[in-house]
Amino acid sequence: MHQIESLRDTLLATPLFAVALTLAAYLLGMGIFRHLGQPTWLPAILIAALLLAALLALSGIPYPEYREGATWLTILLGPATVALGMPLYQQLPRIRELWRPLVVSLPLAASLAILYALGIAWLMGASQPILASLAAKSVTAPIAIGITQQLGGSIALLMGGLLVTGVAAIAFVSLLARWMKIKDERIIGFALGLNGHAIGTVRAFEISPTAGAFASLGMSLTGIFTALLLPLAWRLVGAIGMSVTS
Amino acid sequence: MPAVGGFLWLVGFWLVGETVVTLTGLPVSAGVVGMLLLSATLMVRGGVPESLAAAAQPLIALLAMLIMPGVVGVFFILDEMAGYWMAILSALIVGTLLSVATTLWLMQRLMQGYHAPD
Repeated sequence: MHQIESLRDTLLATPLFAVALTLAAYLLGMGIFRHLGQPTWLPAILIAALLLAALLALSGIPYPEYREGATWLTILLGPATVALGMPLYQQLPRIRELWRPLVVSLPLAASLAILYALGIAWLMGASQPILASLAAKSVTAPIAIGITQQLGGSIALLMGGLLVTGVAAIAFVSLLARWMKIKDERIIGFALGLNGHAIGTVRAFEISPTAGAFASLGMSLTGIFTALLLPLAWRLVGAIGMSVTS
Repeated sequence: MPAVGGFLWLVGFWLVGETVVTLTGLPVSAGVVGMLLLSATLMVRGGVPESLAAAAQPLIALLAMLIMPGVVGVFFILDEMAGYWMAILSALIVGTLLSVATTLWLMQRLMQGYHAPD
């Protein structure tokens, strides 16, 4: 009995245990996702996260300890975010061709995506840390994590928000496009990427390569626009709020 | 191993991004600065080097796995957020409905006259 306990402690002491748990949950989650016929309402990442949570609960590993070990994986998010510069470069011809509609619609739609959510949460009495965690809800995860750290929000809540937003965006784009009689796959794709980040973009690639390309475009431009302006705007609003109350 | 050279590009650009953020105090993450600098460099260079593609593609494909340790955290704050779930879910769901409607409406108006090239 004593031996088993000390073995458990030894395994828990190495970060490779957290790495193995993450890889296993990821592969298993992807397998289940394919087995279920890739349902859009249940993203693979949610299945994998549920499995991982179950594994952690069963093995009795406290979440902070796991997260500490998983840093060995999550540190790769930095270079992975930089890597998004490659598809961004490949989209330049499309950006050049459509710069006029993009320059108007992107700042408006991306700002309103934030303001609608914050407005509703604020009206319903959400606290400031919750607002900070929800603000980047339409931004692709690697960029959204950086933004939320700047705003001082909770990464965990942000991640939940990203999942809900992605799935909701898929449902609403298909519903509203039908209702508004929009058939242009470029518009449908762009709306999926702008509002539903990576989850919406995956869905757009299932519709057609054109929809997918425009979803990637919407996703990357929303990410950059929000990353450059939201933390700055947050600081300004905070400063105004401070001077009004003092 | 061309991917090693490509990975060095990515890590190098991240470090440059971190340097820029630290020196300027800009409220932007090092990854986003590195991403923009990488795009700009590729524009000047006029193409994607093979080694960079060999490192960037698998990393982008693995993004879902890299964010999993963060995603799973949401199950451990469920109690903390009790009492706020209605506000959070309404903000996410109704907010997304409104922003999808806005995007579709704006693009429908602005894309008139931009016919698909094919």
